[in-house]
Order: sequence, then structure tokens, then C-alpha cells
Amino acid sequence: MHTRYVTACLMGAVSLMLLIGPACSKKEIQATSGSKSSERPMAKTDRADSGTAARPEPGISEQDLLKPGKGPSAENLPGDIKVAKVQPSDSTSRIAEDIRREQVATAASGLKDVYFAFDSWNITEEARQALTADAEWIKANPTSMLKIEGHCDERGTQAYNLVLGEKRAKAVRNYLAELGVVANRLAVVSYGKERPFCKERDESCYQQNRRGHIVVRTK
Amino acid sequence: MRVVVFIVYLAVCAAFVGITGAADVFLEATRPDFEKIPIGVLGFQGKTAVAGSAEQVATVLKADLRRSQIFSLMDLPKLGIKVNDAEDPEKALFKQATENGISVLVWGKLGVKEADVVLDGYVYDGGNDEVVAGKRYAGPSSVLRLMVHRLADELVFRYTGEPGIARTKIAFVSEQTGSRELYVMDYDGYAPRQVTADGFLNLMPHWSPDRRFLVFTAYRSRTTQDIDMIELATGKRWTLVSLGGLNITPAFSPDGNDLVFATSHDGDSELYKLDTRTKVLQRLTNNSASDLSPSWSPTGREIAFTSDRGGGPQIYLMSADGSNVRRLTYEGDYNAAPAWSPRGTWIAHVCRTPTKEYKLCVVSPDGQQRRQLTTGPGVDDSPSWSPDGRHLAFSSTAEGKSHIYMINSDGTDLERLTSGGTHHSSPSWSPL
Repeated sequence: MHTRYVTACLMGAVSLMLLIGPACSKKEIQATSGSKSSERPMAKTDRADSGTAARPEPGISEQDLLKPGKGPSAENLPGDIKVAKVQPSDSTSRIAEDIRREQVATAASGLKDVYFAFDSWNITEEARQALTADAEWIKANPTSMLKIEGHCDERGTQAYNLVLGEKRAKAVRNYLAELGVVANRLAVVSYGKERPFCKERDESCYQQNRRGHIVVRTK
Repeated sequence: MRVVVFIVYLAVCAAFVGITGAADVFLEATRPDFEKIPIGVLGFQGKTAVAGSAEQVATVLKADLRRSQIFSLMDLPKLGIKVNDAEDPEKALFKQATENGISVLVWGKLGVKEADVVLDGYVYDGGNDEVVAGKRYAGPSSVLRLMVHRLADELVFRYTGEPGIARTKIAFVSEQTGSRELYVMDYDGYAPRQVTADGFLNLMPHWSPDRRFLVFTAYRSRTTQDIDMIELATGKRWTLVSLGGLNITPAFSPDGNDLVFATSHDGDSELYKLDTRTKVLQRLTNNSASDLSPSWSPTGREIAFTSDRGGGPQIYLMSADGSNVRRLTYEGDYNAAPAWSPRGTWIAHVCRTPTKEYKLCVVSPDGQQRRQLTTGPGVDDSPSWSPDGRHLAFSSTAEGKSHIYMINSDGTDLERLTSGGTHHSSPSWSPL
């Protein structure tokens, strides 16, 4: 019952956010009354002026209904955390367009991706064949710049998979370099399990996601 | 008798949530002999423009009190205590409640004053046999839930001397807009607010100790990664760390002066410490394996982290200057993503079980005690303690999509905080 209530309310809040979020193009920042919004760029940890001291929540006033001095009060408690409205940016559409252009260029190149075993960054025999063909294309297109993305399946932690994804991408770069590709044409990036190709939860999907993805950069 | 009741309670919890393990060891975060205070919520009278608000106030308050783990919520109607006429309860009602073993009664009313909602809350204490607190909160109806949380925190503070967590927040990552962006929500999953809108990938938010900032990994150009910092109240954002390679898992020291993070700019992933005042960068680990996911002890003297220097990933401890490294976990071939509890007594982490599931475990810093908190299918990740040490937030794919959950530190009371068909991950619980 409670869960349903929570879910319903949360969905309401989320849909409200979706409705007003993207449509809002004002660069509006909520007022920061209460806490001192200094220009200091670093985290400040002086509790006396930022933590437990009286920091009333904007919009909420509080008073005692009984005679004062009767026990503790929420005035001794920390205030509320305020979150400014997100700054809208045009980067979303720009990034989507960049990705689309990369996909087109990559598909046209015929470059092959390589796949890895679970928890492994070893280049398999099958991957060697694919990379041999890739190296030929790269050498035949000497002005092209490439990016090797390391990807992982969903098993394991986010952080450890980012590290694993980087090992995979570097293994691909190193093998291409062995085949004579100039390494500074090959950028390396790990997306761990954050940008999966396939979102099902089975081995064939996991296999798709344990990938070294070779991309033709368009800028 | 109490043991039996407790066991039944655990069984019900486990059955209800489906994916928690039955707790056979009770890990009390504070005092092992702590007995919960029986509390009754008489209800709230009155109406505002927001329909159902009075019921909502009681529901929110009860959920806060349950989560506090300080109070035991009593079923008043079952005890024959009237809850619907509570605006000015009579002495006889107090007597009846006390006779039924209830120590504390809460009630109140909801009204409207000009544009504001006014919430009055009263607290009766059976030990003193008097009304010990009366609080009036006023504000726009949009902050009604916060007013209730404030009343709950008042109760927790009054009965424990410690601040409650009902007004803490949880930062997380959501794919709501199609890209992975940072959000901040109330500790109970309400009112998610978007913090970044880059259109690509922002990962692993972590709070500054003063709660004003989040640090996180930002893929600003899609090919390079930085560690960025954003001031929540203003949305002001800047780059703290801009080295080559992977720059992940930032964590502030408890005094807020140092940032420890993992970077692969000189090869494999190593831990570095950035003094945010002097900008001096110090390398803490130095080997050919991967070191990542630092978590500070509450004293700031030690750091737990993940390292695969022994083969698979395991949890290690070291002094904050990088000396005195020792391995903490030996059970299982995969232990990662450590989170040191606020009281220092446990280190939560992700553990791979013999059946190859990724679940939450806790281990004591001396390595002597270890326990698995969650069971069942799915990948659990990113444990983050509530500042009172009584809960953990974490992500799990137990129900398909990755969602954010909260669980008591003893493995009971699993509660899902996010909903919808999109990806949610990387919860980070705010400090107090």
C-alpha cells in the first residue's frame, strides 16, 4: 500500500519534472537565502558557518507553540539542501548530431569491432583477424582519426568495469600499433558498462557488450 | 517472546521484499541493547487546497519514524485508540495510550494562512505525562513534505540527541532524458531534481562534507574525462581534475580538504590525492595493478579501496598518506566498491557470491566479521551509507532495470526509491 503510494507520487513528481524540465529555457537560478553562497570555488567544511548552525529552509518558518525553552528544537538541526534549476544547454542536440555523424562514417568504413571473454582484455584469435583487416583500412586512409571505445557487460561494479573497459581499449590500440598503425591516430576511451549495445540480461547480450568498438572520428 | 516477534518480523520483511536475505546476525548500528520507543501517530486534522494532505502528512511522518529505527510504530486502532478526533486529545486518551505501552504520541493539524500551509505538530511524552513539544511550520504547499520531515527529525533529535536523516538527500545518476545525468532526490525518493544536462555521460557523484557540492566524473568531450565539481545551490560548475585517461571515483576527505580519486593518466589506474587548497597532487599507490574506489574512514586517517594487485579485485586499507597498505577481504574472488560507515565500524562493499551474483556485504575494518546483506538475482552496486549509519543506499538490477534501493544496515527493510522504466544508479547519500 505504502509502496504504491510512494510510487504513484514519485511518478507524478517525475512526470511533472519531465513536463516542465525541457520546456524551461530561462536561465533561472533559485535564490540561496539562508546559506552563504560564497564565490569560493572549493568545498568548505567549516561547520560553524555552513553545517549545523541555524540555516532555515527557504519557505519554511518555524515557531514554538508551547512556552519557549522546552527541550530541543529543530533549530539546532541542519537546514535543507537547495538545488538550483538545471542550466539548460544546447550540448544534447550537438552531441546527438556528433554521434550520428560518427556512426555514419564508421559504418561506411567497414571497420570491425572485437569481442572479449568475461573479465578479460586478451585479444582473441578472432579479434586478431578483425584487427588485421582494420589496420589495413586505417593505413589506407591516412587522414582518418580513430577512437577505440572499451565496453563491458553489466556484471560487476561500475568503477571496476570502467577500468576493465580501458584495459580492453588499450589492448586493441596496442595490437593495432603492433600491426604498424601510428598510435597517435588512436584515441582510447572507456565507457565501462555505461553505454551498452544490448540491454537484455543473457549471455548473448553480455557478449555483445564486451567489446572494443572502433569509431571513425569526424572532428 | 521478543525474539519470536523479531524473527516473525524478519520473515515478513524477507517475504515482502523478496530479495533480502534472512538476517541471522543482528548488526545494530548504535547500541546493541537499544529498545525502540513505542510511538503512536494520532493523525492530523484539517484541510488545505491540496487534497488529502492531512492523510499525506500522517503517512510521510509514519514512514520517517519507521525508517529512523528509533521508534516502533504502534497500531492505534488495533489497540482501540481513536485516531480521528485528535485535534485536541483528552487526558483519557493519553492514559489509554500509556496503559497500552505507548511512550510517545504525535498529532497535529494542517491549516492555511494566506498563501502558506501551516502544520502544527504536538508531542506527548508518557514518561513526563505532558505535552512536551509543539511546533508550527509554515510555508508553501510545495514544501509540505519537508515540514513533515522536519517534525520527524525533531522527534529523533529529541529522543536520541542525534540529528535525524529525514531531510538528507541522495544524489544519483538517471537516464531519464536519454543521457546519463546527475540528479538529487529526497532521502525517501521524492522530488528528484536534475543537476546536469550535458547530453552524454556523468558518473559517480559524491558529496562534499558541507553538502554544498557534488564531485563527479564528466565525459565532457565524449573522449576525455574530467572530475568536475558543481555547487548545488547555484549550478556553478568547474573542473577539478583534468588529467589524461580515466579519472573516476572521487571522494572528499571528512575535513573536505583533500580529494582522493583514481586516474590512469600514467598507465594503469592509481589513487592520487589532491589538496584542494594548495593544488598539490600526491600519488598514493604505485604498482602495475588497478587501484580505484577510495573511501575515507570517518576519522580521515585511513582509506579503503579496491585493488586487483592480488589477481581479482579485493578491498585494501591504507593510511591516508599511502603507507601501511594491507588486504582486508579474503572471502570470494571479487570484492569491490568499499564504503566506510560513518561510525567507522563497518565497510560495506560489493561481493561476488559463490553463485556469481554481485551482492552487498559488510566487513569490519579488522577483517574479523563479515556478513552478506542482500541475496537473490541481479547486480548490486555503489553502496552508500546514510549519515546516521543505519541505512545503505545502493543500486540493483534485481527487478530488471537498475534502480536505487535503501536497506537497513542489518539487511532488513529493503525499500525501492526510484521508479519508472529508466536506468538509475550511483546513489550517494548526503552528509547531515
